[in-house]
Amino acid sequence: MLIVRRREGESVVIGEGVEVLILECGAGKRVKLGIVGPREVNIYRKELALTREQNELAARAPADRLTAACKGLTTANEGAAGTASVQPAVAKKKVKFI
Amino acid sequence: MNTCLTRYFDAIEYAPESVIHFPAGLPGFEQERDFVIVEQPAHRPLLFLQSLAKRELCFLMLPVLTVDAEYRLRMRPEDVELIGFRGRRQPRIGRDVFCGVFLTAIPDETPTANLLAPIVINLQTRIAVQAVRPEPAYSHCHPLSTREMVMAC
Repeated sequence: MLIVRRREGESVVIGEGVEVLILECGAGKRVKLGIVGPREVNIYRKELALTREQNELAARAPADRLTAACKGLTTANEGAAGTASVQPAVAKKKVKFI
Repeated sequence: MNTCLTRYFDAIEYAPESVIHFPAGLPGFEQERDFVIVEQPAHRPLLFLQSLAKRELCFLMLPVLTVDAEYRLRMRPEDVELIGFRGRRQPRIGRDVFCGVFLTAIPDETPTANLLAPIVINLQTRIAVQAVRPEPAYSHCHPLSTREMVMAC
């Protein structure tokens, strides 16, 4: 990893045409960045990039392994979680995943 | 009652007012806005978040409190507003919102839950968002270990 020390108002350039500016080093350890780059380069917060990746995996995940992993899970907190309030539709068809 | 075809349960009937609407879609599935939650008594507390537009799109989800009884919701102000709440106050799980987490499994690894980006549903309006946390205080791939979960509850 390359480590660079920069002050407010300074910037770094990455490759061709991506510039990261340090706009503000505020209180609470938060840094305000400005990013200039080509339109075709997507910029996401890392948490969002991880979530996209996880969602794509989740959509393809094998239901049999997931249902097996949830077996024996307590339903004690369902009330507190508000499950009943979202009015789940009840599937009549019994599916055995395993 | 309306009917839709599902990935796992053939056709199901659902009440029109039980549709969950995501105004911004889901990261990676931005076009998918409308879902229904399906449950099967044998698989509780597991829930199936079934897309209304795409039969083959169905996420498996757990109420977050069944994975981590101490889970603390923290949403960005823009997500709080998107689902219809005002101000900077965080909605309360079970009272204002339902909060669920998506499950996934890759071969040879323990199945995991995404605690970094819970699905938050306004219980009054059923408007929902996948609220990606502003800080990495929870893992995007929290291992699902039944024993730990029972202890935590």
